[in-house]
Amino acid sequence: MANAKNARHHVVIGSGVAGSQAAETLREREPEARVTILTLSSLLFYNRYDLPKVFRGHRDWREFLAFPAEYYKDHRIVVRRCSRVAGVDGPRRTIALEHKEEIRFDTLLVASGGRGYIPEELAEFRPLMHPFASYTEAVSAAAVVPERGHVIMLGGDMIGLDLARTLVDTRHRVTLVAGPQTFWPHEVTDDERPGLIAALEKMGVEVIESADAGGIASIEQGARGLSARRVLFKDRTELYGDAVMPFFGLSPSVEFMLGSGTDIERGLLVNPALRTTGEGIWAAGDVCQIWSDAEKRYRFYYGWKNVRAMGDLAARNIAGGDEPWVPAQDEKLHIGSDGKIQSPFWEYE
Amino acid sequence: MATDIQISIVGSAGDGTIAAGDILRNALAGMGYKVISFDVYPPEIRGFGKCIARMRITTEQAYSLKHQSDVLVSLDDSHAIPHAGELRDCGALVYEQKSLVKLPEGGHMSAHVGPGQLPYPVPIRELSEKSTGANRSRNIVVLGFLAGLFNLPAEGFRKAIGKKFRNKAAAAEASEAAFKAGLDYAAKTFKLDDVTFGPPVSSVVAGATVEMINGNAAIARGALDAGIDTFFGYPITPATSIMERLAAEMPRRGGRLLQTEDEISAISAVVGAGFAGARAATSTSGPGLSLMAEMLGMGVIGEVPSVVFVSQRGGPSTGMPTKTEQSDLHMAVYGGHGDAPRIVVAPTNVDGCYRCAGKAFEMAEAYQTPVIVLIDLYLSNRYETVVFPARPPFEADLNRKPGKPAAGAPYKRYALAADHVSPRAIPGDKGNMHVVTGLEHNELGRPNDSAELHTAMSRKRHEKLKLALNHPDFTKFKRFGDEGPVDVGVISWGSNFGECLEAMLRARSEGIRCAAMKVVMLSPFPTEAVAAFMADCKEVLVPELNYQGQFANLLQAHVAKPVTRLNRVSGEPMKVEEILEEIRRLAGRGKTAQKAA
Ligand SMILES: Cc1cc2nc3c(=O)[nH]c(=O)nc-3n(C[C@H](O)[C@H](O)[C@H](O)COP(=O)(O)OP(=O)(O)OC[C@H]3O[C@@H](n4cnc5c(N)ncnc54)[C@H](O)[C@@H]3O)c2cc1C
Repeated sequence: MANAKNARHHVVIGSGVAGSQAAETLREREPEARVTILTLSSLLFYNRYDLPKVFRGHRDWREFLAFPAEYYKDHRIVVRRCSRVAGVDGPRRTIALEHKEEIRFDTLLVASGGRGYIPEELAEFRPLMHPFASYTEAVSAAAVVPERGHVIMLGGDMIGLDLARTLVDTRHRVTLVAGPQTFWPHEVTDDERPGLIAALEKMGVEVIESADAGGIASIEQGARGLSARRVLFKDRTELYGDAVMPFFGLSPSVEFMLGSGTDIERGLLVNPALRTTGEGIWAAGDVCQIWSDAEKRYRFYYGWKNVRAMGDLAARNIAGGDEPWVPAQDEKLHIGSDGKIQSPFWEYE
Repeated sequence: MATDIQISIVGSAGDGTIAAGDILRNALAGMGYKVISFDVYPPEIRGFGKCIARMRITTEQAYSLKHQSDVLVSLDDSHAIPHAGELRDCGALVYEQKSLVKLPEGGHMSAHVGPGQLPYPVPIRELSEKSTGANRSRNIVVLGFLAGLFNLPAEGFRKAIGKKFRNKAAAAEASEAAFKAGLDYAAKTFKLDDVTFGPPVSSVVAGATVEMINGNAAIARGALDAGIDTFFGYPITPATSIMERLAAEMPRRGGRLLQTEDEISAISAVVGAGFAGARAATSTSGPGLSLMAEMLGMGVIGEVPSVVFVSQRGGPSTGMPTKTEQSDLHMAVYGGHGDAPRIVVAPTNVDGCYRCAGKAFEMAEAYQTPVIVLIDLYLSNRYETVVFPARPPFEADLNRKPGKPAAGAPYKRYALAADHVSPRAIPGDKGNMHVVTGLEHNELGRPNDSAELHTAMSRKRHEKLKLALNHPDFTKFKRFGDEGPVDVGVISWGSNFGECLEAMLRARSEGIRCAAMKVVMLSPFPTEAVAAFMADCKEVLVPELNYQGQFANLLQAHVAKPVTRLNRVSGEPMKVEEILEEIRRLAGRGKTAQKAA
């Protein structure tokens, strides 16, 4: 079925869990509408929680895709890859892409997620680190870590710890330089922390607590001739590894929304129906802070189940609904009877 | 691993699209791959029309371009966007990352990348400007990027770039910098497509040379290797470059080339030179051939060896000068007044252009007649890697036997001999004075219009040509595919045969019993061989690039068996898929057959 001439144009920024779910729901609810996804990614949507599989030898991106290319053709969802949004003009309902194209929208859903946060004092060492937020980053990281190689994780968050589980399982050595973000996004009390750290050690992760990484250097004597890394701590101790991977949580990708006429704190502020303060603009996923009446504050809800539910809810509301947000998963981190860490974050389908 | 990769570069005139294609195919051919390539130019001489350089790179011999490319490069989105759909899934789409000017929705290539295709936005302009100070080398940046992305040896590209800018030091230097910028950018790019080059396979015998050459260049080379010494011509698209090449080469070899005021003068001078004993030729396209029709008749009745290279384009009249078509067959074979038989040969590939061009001189002299070598724009501009033998496979004029009349007897230039070929003296052969005229004549060449003589001379002029059907070391037709009875036989000619062969081979791989025959010699027609082939075929398919089915008409004049015609006049080569679908239908397979049932 062709899009009707006066059908609405729904634009979604982001092809992650939230954006992709929203596009599917929008297509279901409004069969005539145009649905366009804008994304930085050069690949179609894949589940990021699958990425640790690269260390199990899965390196072909086709194995990671959530849907085949035909899905997008059949659902008439246009995915504009490698298309960075540079700005949004709320009143004019236009989006400016960095490559200078302008796109008009009737409704806009911002689902731009977050990008790996790196503390300021380590920013200069970014080129020497191997982030793990996308398929290409994951494959590039896996390519430099040899069999039984040594990975140094800085910070550690639930994304990093999930990867650590795979690395230990695949007989790699993992050293975690722990810090305040080690269990991000879970909020962990000082009482809970030692138990959780002990559980990590039991899992096979070497944990260094209370040591601040002060620098990273490239060294040449890596295994198989690959260059490797040396981490220098502020107390002048050193640690050698094949790769240094930063995991300090995510910071919302909102820079292109500055000047759009929507309210921003750390993320885009939305009401319980996921509407922003900008006319015709909604937000979902890691990028948004939702008003919680119970807590009387705007707050983030993380984890892929929450994010997918947000994408679905935002789309239903864009299509005329007015339902409030209800979290789709609990946020409790605990140690199971087997002594292993259990997080709702790690429950995949 | 066998390689079969098609790359298309699309840009605007002035972007260096064709130059990039030229360097790329030369680099790849130099690495040992087989390349077949066809460029598309805009009809306007000036302006910013669309240019496309398309090439298929293989380890096994390929016969045509593919319907879909594996790599598509856009040097100008406004021209390349309509071609985005020609890229296959998992193929690489390379385009300019950022526009200089504001674009409306859909104005950037990123809007047209299909969900199965893989986007590579590259800051092409920025890399060119940073590395060379100007944006002129965008095309070379792209070559560097492709070399890096596909891990091809940079040295091969550098050699081809060096050759291209042999006499332009500044351009060579800028190109080297731009190439490196593209190469370095590729090193930072994550390769996601599944396009992979396997190692090239070289199967060249000792002494032979491999060259990347197009149809027109192959015609010129064939003529030179056959010892052409005189050329008269008038430029016309798409034949012009034959004359340009000869103009550069012939003076060095002691030959003469003159650009005449028009085509009538050109053919007149060629017939004159042939009469004088020269190996003479001209080149033209359909409109020029129309003008030559009268003088070709003179060549026929005067029995003067003369060679005409004709590259067809979309007609009639000025028609579509930069588009291909096979619509001058009727004129080549039958055109002109009177019963004026001539030899017409139509090569089917670039190697064939070389061979037909050289053999045309042999046949013109052996059978004392004009010979037309009929190609078209698709073959004129199509590049292929051709293996040239160590020694040119053409004979000098061994067949000229002027003979000597008995003492006191006049010289019978048109003697009615048993094989219908008369002795041929040229001016200056002592004692062999004779008359050559456009009037019907007797054996001495003197005007005579008696019924018996006109009948005898007409028979002679027709019958002698049949000898050409046995001309040595020359392929007049060839059968491919299954031997014996088949369900579908495809017969075609000229540039279009490559697509037919490819379609037939694919149909065979689907289990259809089929075969294909190419007919190179259109006049005289190899009736016996073609009839035998058609007798083997339950169904005969004749695909060609004209509206009337000119080859099918010719075929049916010689062999009384119904054929299915497939005619296209899109100005572009026929699609292999279209022919294949028709084969399937005729074989009772495939979508169309099911629909019909
Ligand atoms: C490696 C990894 C592993 C994870 N593992 C788990 C897990 O095990 N369990 C779990 O619950 N959660 C996991 N997460 C977190 C979970 O994936 C996120 O909560 C979820 O991805 C957020 O989805 P989203 O749709 O909000 O944003 P994202 O998935 O971050 O997608 C953001 C999208 O926005 C696009 N975008 C951003 N900026 C722009 C721009 N300027 N212009 C155009 N497009 C833009 C991006 O290209 C991307 O497509 C993991 C995350 C990562 C990175």
